[in-house]
Amino acid sequence: MKRAAALAGGPAGAILLAFVLAAIAMLVAGVSPADGFSALFLGSLGGRNQIAETLVQTTALLFPALGVALAFRAGLFNIGAEGQLMIGGLAAGAVGAQLDAPGAVAAVAILAAGFAGGAAWGALAGWLRARFSASEIISTLMLNFIALSLASYLVSGPLKASEASGAQTAPLPAASWLPALIPGTRLSIAFLIALATAGVLAWLLARTVFGYELRACGAAPEAARRSGIDMARMTLLALGLSGGIAGLGGATIVEGVLHRFNTQLSPGYGYTAIAVALVGDLHPLWICLAAFGFGILESGGLAMQALADVPKDAIHVIEGLIVLVLAARRYVATRAQTVPL
Amino acid sequence: METVNALELRGIRKTFGSVVALDGVDLDLQAGEVHALVGENGAGKSTLASIAFGTLKADSGTVRAAGTVGLVHQHFELVGRLRVWQNVVLGREPKAGWSIDARTARAQVLELAQKNALDVDPDAFVDELPVGAQQRVELLRELYRDPVVLLLDEPTAALAPAEIGRFFETVRALAARGTAVMVVTHKLQEVMEYSQRVSVLRRGRMVAQYRTSETNVAEIAHAMVGGEPAAVASRQAVPLRPCLRVLDLTAVSASSGVERMSLHVDGGEIVGIAGVEGNGQTALADALAGLVPFRGSIEMNGTAGIIPQDRRAEGLVLDWSLAQNVVLGRQRRVRRGIVVDRARARADAQTIVERFDVRAPSLDAPVRALSGGNQQKLLAGRALIDRPAFVLAYQPTRGIDVGAAALVQSRLIEARNAGAAVLLISFDLDEILAIADRVLVMYRGRIAGEFASASADRAAIGRLMAGAAA
Repeated sequence: MKRAAALAGGPAGAILLAFVLAAIAMLVAGVSPADGFSALFLGSLGGRNQIAETLVQTTALLFPALGVALAFRAGLFNIGAEGQLMIGGLAAGAVGAQLDAPGAVAAVAILAAGFAGGAAWGALAGWLRARFSASEIISTLMLNFIALSLASYLVSGPLKASEASGAQTAPLPAASWLPALIPGTRLSIAFLIALATAGVLAWLLARTVFGYELRACGAAPEAARRSGIDMARMTLLALGLSGGIAGLGGATIVEGVLHRFNTQLSPGYGYTAIAVALVGDLHPLWICLAAFGFGILESGGLAMQALADVPKDAIHVIEGLIVLVLAARRYVATRAQTVPL
Repeated sequence: METVNALELRGIRKTFGSVVALDGVDLDLQAGEVHALVGENGAGKSTLASIAFGTLKADSGTVRAAGTVGLVHQHFELVGRLRVWQNVVLGREPKAGWSIDARTARAQVLELAQKNALDVDPDAFVDELPVGAQQRVELLRELYRDPVVLLLDEPTAALAPAEIGRFFETVRALAARGTAVMVVTHKLQEVMEYSQRVSVLRRGRMVAQYRTSETNVAEIAHAMVGGEPAAVASRQAVPLRPCLRVLDLTAVSASSGVERMSLHVDGGEIVGIAGVEGNGQTALADALAGLVPFRGSIEMNGTAGIIPQDRRAEGLVLDWSLAQNVVLGRQRRVRRGIVVDRARARADAQTIVERFDVRAPSLDAPVRALSGGNQQKLLAGRALIDRPAFVLAYQPTRGIDVGAAALVQSRLIEARNAGAAVLLISFDLDEILAIADRVLVMYRGRIAGEFASASADRAAIGRLMAGAAA
């Protein structure tokens, strides 16, 4: 209850305030906010297809957001979900295009490849931090660019499908595609996998010894070190797992939406995911809600542009405002805290 | 004699949520006096100091000061990566055009240090200084503001006996020049030696005020606790069994080290390490805890329970509940399979709360909400609950009130009576002499001498702590 109240005063209030600010921005730009917002919600929730597309976006944001949250809870600022998502998708695409196995086995193997790819990319930053004390904030960000360049090179060279006109891998055999959740739409069971991942992660963090140690590292690193936790190992594990979850997300996009890998996999899901994780208070179950909210924005943006003549980029303004308002609230709350000596 | 009030507090009331921290407190500080403010943990001393200084606002009542008020915190608030002089002038830097006039600033700091006999290198980096020197920097920083009133919160908690004497000489000299000084403390012996007046807080109320010359320790202690203070448990004769054996230990931690140090602690005894802070105690503790690499050998029969020096940074997760904190360091034991055994964690927390008299709103309250004494009791309880064969207690009663300290010391003695080997590292010689069976004096990373505490000569120990040859 307390948490719900805090959330109403925090993220929910922040979202409301961001919409108010966005409405003011629309007024200034000479667009009726009523038209703008009705287009946004009709475009994202106005029908079966719209809802399916919103859930596709929700899924794409949820995986990297869960990964980001896991690292943040360990006190590690993983802003490299974009790269981990990309490498996960790349690994999934590469394995999927070449694997010759029965459908279900292949489907699982492709997801595993995605997880492994993302995990390796995340663990690389973890290793740099544990071995050389290299700040993960810098290394994860830099690895995003390396991931994108690496993927671009591989799909226009070694992994390029021979018959393909563009830079992409060969398509996955249809048997290994993720089954559709709503027939005739792009929504696959990836959505359910994402929700299950959130549930497992919530349990892992709240209940297990591993989750306890991980949270201790984030909440009080020196006390954690003295409690016998191997900090280097935890850094490696946390960033590895964080990257793995983002990579799994990349694999589900390859396997459920694109059915092959190319670098258009992500329009920046890994970056938006940071905002999603923060709005969700770094708690897996709240993050599901936050991802849905951002999914509405992502999928409704196009409708807003087409119907109300509001540029799609306005969505990013709203997203930015939400993060800004949240950060400001947190700053004010910290300053207002009176701690007796 | 005519007296001038440098600070007047009238009818101060302050609440935190439903807790009444201060209720109708009056206090006058006179120019030129050293005034001691005593009380148990949670009595409201620090809150009162914060209100006088201005960081907290009273719900009702008035604060009147005749000029600037300075406050030296118990937990230092210095910028570790800046030099001493930079810390001192921070916020009031003398300017030369757009930039800081470093030459003038440095000269001012040097002069201030000399005038007050505060020996510290103005160019040293603060995080490389031992605690005693950091405290002198804190004091200098406040003096730089030329305060009319100076509040000192537990100023001697981290100082060695010799430093304490020197510190109070400085304080007296300040008072003699007209500053009103208020010392917030638990150490009644210091109150008797250095103050002119004493005010006693109990549960947010001012219960007594004395002229120091007209009172005694027993009377003040009685007023503090509202009865007789708790006695420390007595040591019983128990057979000794080998437990900890350290041979030729060489290690470095926190800018001090130990060199080829050997010692042993048997089950059934408390061995006290006496010494001035910064003589290798941290390196010894960290090597024993397995936190730093070392040469030499450490042999231990059985498990270890550790009370770390800094409860807030090293021992507790302040935002977590009591029940969660009780698991820390024991998370591989308090579990069922891969899941934390939450029922057992709660049961353990309940046991500790009862046995160690931890006063907390509930087991689910964040540890941050507890007073320092209650946090320390929780920490001691956690270190002892699994009945470890070896107990390392590093400053186990630092900055906590007499009642809480007596309780922690009693539990350490009971562990010893039950056969545990206890190594007590403390900068408080009184504490060591009160509860240790043997005393080892540590100086510059070596054992400078050993005494049976029953027949120990305080003066001889003090000389060894200061570096005199045995």
